Amino acid sequence: MIVNRLIEKAMQKAQGAQAALGQSESTNVSFEDDKLKSAGVAQSTGMSVKVVVDGKTGSSNTTDIDDVDGVVARALEAAAFGSPAHFEFPGPQEGPDVEVYDDAVLPVTKEEMVRIGEEMMALVKAYRADILVSAGVGKSVSKAQFANSAGMEYTTETTSFGVGVNGQWVRGTDILLAGHGFGWKKRDIDHGAIARKTIELLKMAENIAPIKSGAMPVIFTPEGVNVLLLALRLGFNGKNVFLGSSPLAGKLGEKIADEAFSVTDNPLLDYANSSGKYDSEGVPHQVTPLIERGVARNFLYDLDTAGRAGATSTGNGVGCKPTNLVIKEGDTPYEEMVKNTKEGLLVHNVLGLGQGNPISGEFSVNVQLGYKIDKGEIVGRVKDVMLAGNTYEALKNIAAIGDKAEWAGGSLLTPPIQIAMLSVVAK
Amino acid sequence: MREKMEKALRKSDAEYTEIRIENVTCSWASFRGEELDSIGSSRTLGGIVRALVKGGWGYATFNDIGDLESRVREACESARIVGKEESRFAEVEPVVDEIRAPLEKDFREISLSEKKSVIEEYNKIILSYHDRIETSNVVYGDSFRKVWYANSGGTYIEDERPDVGVAISATGREGDNVQRGFESVAGSAGFQVIEGLQEKAEAAARHAVDLLSAPPVTGGKYTVIINPRLAGVFAHEAFGHLSESDFVYENERMKELMVLGKRLGSDILNIIDDGSIAGLRGTHKYDDEGVKTRKNYLIKDGILVGRLHSRETAAKMGEQPTGNARAIGYQHRPIVRMTNTYVDKGDATFEDMIKDVKLGVYAIDMVGGQTSMEMFTFSAAYGYMVRDGKIAELVRDVVLTGNVFETLMHIDMIGNTVEWPPAGGGCGKGGQSPLPVGLGGPCVRIQNVVVGGRQQ
Repeated sequence: MIVNRLIEKAMQKAQGAQAALGQSESTNVSFEDDKLKSAGVAQSTGMSVKVVVDGKTGSSNTTDIDDVDGVVARALEAAAFGSPAHFEFPGPQEGPDVEVYDDAVLPVTKEEMVRIGEEMMALVKAYRADILVSAGVGKSVSKAQFANSAGMEYTTETTSFGVGVNGQWVRGTDILLAGHGFGWKKRDIDHGAIARKTIELLKMAENIAPIKSGAMPVIFTPEGVNVLLLALRLGFNGKNVFLGSSPLAGKLGEKIADEAFSVTDNPLLDYANSSGKYDSEGVPHQVTPLIERGVARNFLYDLDTAGRAGATSTGNGVGCKPTNLVIKEGDTPYEEMVKNTKEGLLVHNVLGLGQGNPISGEFSVNVQLGYKIDKGEIVGRVKDVMLAGNTYEALKNIAAIGDKAEWAGGSLLTPPIQIAMLSVVAK
Repeated sequence: MREKMEKALRKSDAEYTEIRIENVTCSWASFRGEELDSIGSSRTLGGIVRALVKGGWGYATFNDIGDLESRVREACESARIVGKEESRFAEVEPVVDEIRAPLEKDFREISLSEKKSVIEEYNKIILSYHDRIETSNVVYGDSFRKVWYANSGGTYIEDERPDVGVAISATGREGDNVQRGFESVAGSAGFQVIEGLQEKAEAAARHAVDLLSAPPVTGGKYTVIINPRLAGVFAHEAFGHLSESDFVYENERMKELMVLGKRLGSDILNIIDDGSIAGLRGTHKYDDEGVKTRKNYLIKDGILVGRLHSRETAAKMGEQPTGNARAIGYQHRPIVRMTNTYVDKGDATFEDMIKDVKLGVYAIDMVGGQTSMEMFTFSAAYGYMVRDGKIAELVRDVVLTGNVFETLMHIDMIGNTVEWPPAGGGCGKGGQSPLPVGLGGPCVRIQNVVVGGRQQ
């Protein structure tokens, strides 16, 4: 394997080394403005190497898989004045089983992908002919090799498949954009259901509903839950914790959210986008509870950060970032959540998430796709509305959690969540 | 390379074919807190073939440039699956050109250790600024992109696209209160761009500490004055994206909405996109379809007068190509993008703008912006309240939002000097991010802006 040659070459001068090689081929078709617009194939190759020399690390990568000597030389150059290594490369370990390859993906032809796109478009056009539709269908197959100087070695082959369809409805100066998509490592996606979800989002938006500024209960759809999760993604990142920029530093074991709220980092869900046996440092993946019944339980670590913080890698390398997040189901049916809301907001998608100071938990976003709830019913779409609050306060103020988790993208599985009160600013 | 590319192009049976090959060398170094976090380099060689058959596009991207002819055949084959109508693609005069980037201090000649030591100094300035500084993040990055472009119309261009930048972030903390100060500098130039930024490092640290004791702005409607850096973001987010013709060219309703000659803003408003201004990050001599860049008025005296085009959108709308088809790299097809976008100067002084404001917000610098075409939002790094015609207290969490069709009409004063702050970052669209763009303008005053935040 090429990775073994990289390790061998690197170890002539280094005391430790890690190498990875990736090759992938993906095929995509895309529809724009009601018609098929493009199709194509993307092939990519690349390899990377990381070395430790005299306790310091350096890395380098290249798309030229014949340039073993060059990429190793550049990594060694970087290591000469590199960052201190606080870790040792992990030895051979067998990772847990998880499905990441589906035989059904490879045989899918461009023609079949075109047909899937056409069917999704036809469904949305059948709902309203004057909605302009765009859609995309894609698949990919990837191979990767990994090795390090401690003897850890693995190869993996993964597939992915995804579809999406969006509608744009322009009436006067009103521009409505709504769509739905889903992708994971499996061929099995009901593209009709994806189109129907897009139609549902458009249908609920047919009317524009006025809304007044004030504090009100807010339901986040599974996609909308991302608004609340951004601060947690940053806050549970072990590097942010170690450096003190996470407000959760020092709070393990403390109650930071409502008792009904539990969230887990889970890279072992079959076919989920971020699933796999090992992380990119060769550490076996594991399931890590982040919040259990409102209590902060674990931070996420990669090898180097774990070494600095006196912790153990949780298999979240490199970067201490979450893989797939799973939020525990509650006991309120979504319909009931809406029905019990006198006056409130249903938030599906926002603009401006992550601007400002997201790690503090503060958010202040424009509701790109959201709906007014009036006397227990969704009465229309809201416009020109800002939603503001703090994730950590909001999570202590949960009114209800849905009883059914859904995928929002391929790496978040969550029920809808209702926050008792958030600030809404309308014009 | 030219011969190889032109030979491959001759194998095409498509109506139009182009090949773009890129060789990119990058290096980076970053500090987080006291320690160097990462240091390294990368080399990328890759290409894309794009072919047009009966109005349908096929493409192939690859890292192995050894067999261009096969890639051309693949792209043509994909295009044939797609194409069902007549192709329309604006003709341009073929050019043969070779562009060398003036770098002054070529960052490829500078060792990683020197790059590291420059940012190490900035990092130390932050960490020693104050005991409330919790941590820092200083990132250096450079890339030198050599582009070979050839198309079936006879154009052949060799271009060099350098980009170098430093992002400086300071985190202040007091109990649960965590605040960030941020500065960035980037340029399509040499290493000199990121030297001598000690004051920027200190400013980032100062903002992080000062914001700890600043209250969040109270949500509501205000008269807002935005500084030049935010004015550039405003021109880009609030209006610029809507002028990108790929949103319009096959969309009858959008065509009605964006008909040239329509009044979109107050009559003092001029917004321009210009990819030909020397030294800015969005500047290239040619776009990624071989079209020369130029100055394009989008809004003149408040009236919509132009829009940004690729060769396809221009042909389909019966307008001229504007040199705005851009791709972030070889893995992507060119799409309609802005270059350097700015609000043109007016005649007001800053004093004029604040003197009659009873209660307003002076919003400074940006940390981001996003649009859904009609609605937009952008976030200031920080702001000051304006009370009774005077700059008052520092406030944080200043997020501005609006509706393009209303907000542009509410601009009532424009400052008298255009500035181009050399900020880093870039624009994202259609899965292509970050694309280097220039953002500029004078100070701009806007009435009745919704400022997000919690209400009291």
